Amino acid sequence: MSDTILKVEKLEKTYDNGVQALKGVSFDVKRGEFLVIIGLSGSGKSTLLRCLNNLHQPTGGRVTFNGEDITVVKGSKARSIRSKIGMIFQHFNLIPRYSVFKNALSGSLSRAGTLKSLMGIYNEEDKKRALDYLDLVGIKEKAYIRADQLSGGQQQRVAIARALTQNPEILLADEPVASLDPATCHTVMDYLKKVNRELGLTVICNLHFLSLVRQYADRVIALKGGELVYEGDPSHIDEKWFEEIYGEGAKEVHIN
Amino acid sequence: MEDKKALGQCLLLDGVVFTFLILSFAVAILQPTEEQLLNLSMVSGVTFGTLIVTMALAYGLIHFKIKTVGYLLFSPPKIDDSAHHVSWFKTFWGVQLTVAFVVACIVGIRVTDFSLYELFDEQGMMGARRIFSSLFTPNFDILPRAVLAIVETIFMAFMATVLAVPVAFVLSFLCAKNIMGDHPVAFALYGTLRTVLNVTRSIEPLIWAIVFSVWVGIGPFAGMLALLLHSVASLAKNFSELAEGISEGPIEAIRATGATPVQVVWFAVVPQIVLPYTAFTIYRWDINVRMATIIGLVGGGGIGTMLIQYQGQAQWNEVGCLVIVIAVVVWLMDTASAYIREAIK
Repeated sequence: MSDTILKVEKLEKTYDNGVQALKGVSFDVKRGEFLVIIGLSGSGKSTLLRCLNNLHQPTGGRVTFNGEDITVVKGSKARSIRSKIGMIFQHFNLIPRYSVFKNALSGSLSRAGTLKSLMGIYNEEDKKRALDYLDLVGIKEKAYIRADQLSGGQQQRVAIARALTQNPEILLADEPVASLDPATCHTVMDYLKKVNRELGLTVICNLHFLSLVRQYADRVIALKGGELVYEGDPSHIDEKWFEEIYGEGAKEVHIN
Repeated sequence: MEDKKALGQCLLLDGVVFTFLILSFAVAILQPTEEQLLNLSMVSGVTFGTLIVTMALAYGLIHFKIKTVGYLLFSPPKIDDSAHHVSWFKTFWGVQLTVAFVVACIVGIRVTDFSLYELFDEQGMMGARRIFSSLFTPNFDILPRAVLAIVETIFMAFMATVLAVPVAFVLSFLCAKNIMGDHPVAFALYGTLRTVLNVTRSIEPLIWAIVFSVWVGIGPFAGMLALLLHSVASLAKNFSELAEGISEGPIEAIRATGATPVQVVWFAVVPQIVLPYTAFTIYRWDINVRMATIIGLVGGGGIGTMLIQYQGQAQWNEVGCLVIVIAVVVWLMDTASAYIREAIK
């Protein structure tokens, strides 16, 4: 399938303090692709991801998800959209004192019902799903260890399992490897790729390193100062494009 | 100074310091009668007049780049162009601070009737010796009743803490800026609650105890209510500050799963605060035991009430026994709460 799952048209975001983070960004996301967004810090990558699942409200333009306008949604509608779009973060954002299992299980909160989840009652299907996804990211044996006992790479894998437990159609990854060492970096990226390939999940990922982009991305878009400056095949990013995106005199850093 | 707010703070501080100095000298030289000092409109007129003049003076000083105390405190940090080092007592602010401190000490001695003569007066010393000798030969016959009374005090403090925690817990979220967000209604609620709690907290439990002893009658219940009110206000403030200091990451992550606001609080906020909240609660119980003793003095029940009765009848041997019981319990509570707080950190 190569139909469009997400359509972003002239998306704008101006924060209350007047900072214009996005200045009319348009692109399509195809179902099942691995899309990577690159750009300098402050180019609007994180804002863009957060506008897609309504963590931030866009101030202009349109976001269409499965043909449905989700630009400005509130309340239960916003929560139902978020439940279909999983997200992982640079700093993993797990609950440190909870077990790995409980962290993964918190991905099912939108289905669990407020009262039941406060009492700690989850249905068996969700429990099984959480364990299965912990298994998928290779961390099932640590399910009952406290999350803050794990290393950074392991925590990020738990975060992936949490997002998968939501049963999402899209996975947003905001700088998923930026606080990891180069070796761990590849492990996490490999799991993201695995999720993309095996579960057919659409992945939209912010990245810093071009070498990772070439290795993992199906398609790449580049942001600069809140505007889209490049869209296309990762292998087509040559030196000229690199300077265009990252500015004059920038040097590419390779991680292996 | 370009920064208007900093300039205002600076002028106000210097103005107050200069006004204090000028008025102190004026009183010392003119020796006004008490009647003149009680004339509020005249006194306030003179004070404000002087304040305005001295603020203008401070503005002049800063204009000519003389560094006053206010300038030193409030001016925005920047590179010092007069790079050479000057001893503090040769600077304007050094002299200003020294003079203000010395004058404040002299005024303080006058106002508090400080007198070494009174302190070492023969007759006064005799009285003190009588009281101390009685206190140090406590009458342990009343020990059983003292123990009962202090148990009452401890439970007053306990109930006040236990009932305060759930209320403060809920209020703390409503008083935390990061949780309330910037919705106008939420902000109005936040502002109102903060003000009410600040006012409640700034009124001493002693005053609340007097109010409640009229309301529900003298006894431990009145004391407990006074402590409860004060505990709610204090704990809500402590709790909300903790809630404001939590990390945003987990909140964002749980929101991103599509969780409801209540779930976000329960799964992302509560796990981060539960231990520090417990530590503060134990500390508050400890404080409440100490306060409950004092509150008893105005009819709040417990050992304080017993203390004031014996003191009123000048039965110092009995008072001595009560003082020992209070000291032991306060020391035990203090040590225990410190240990527990250390353990759950």
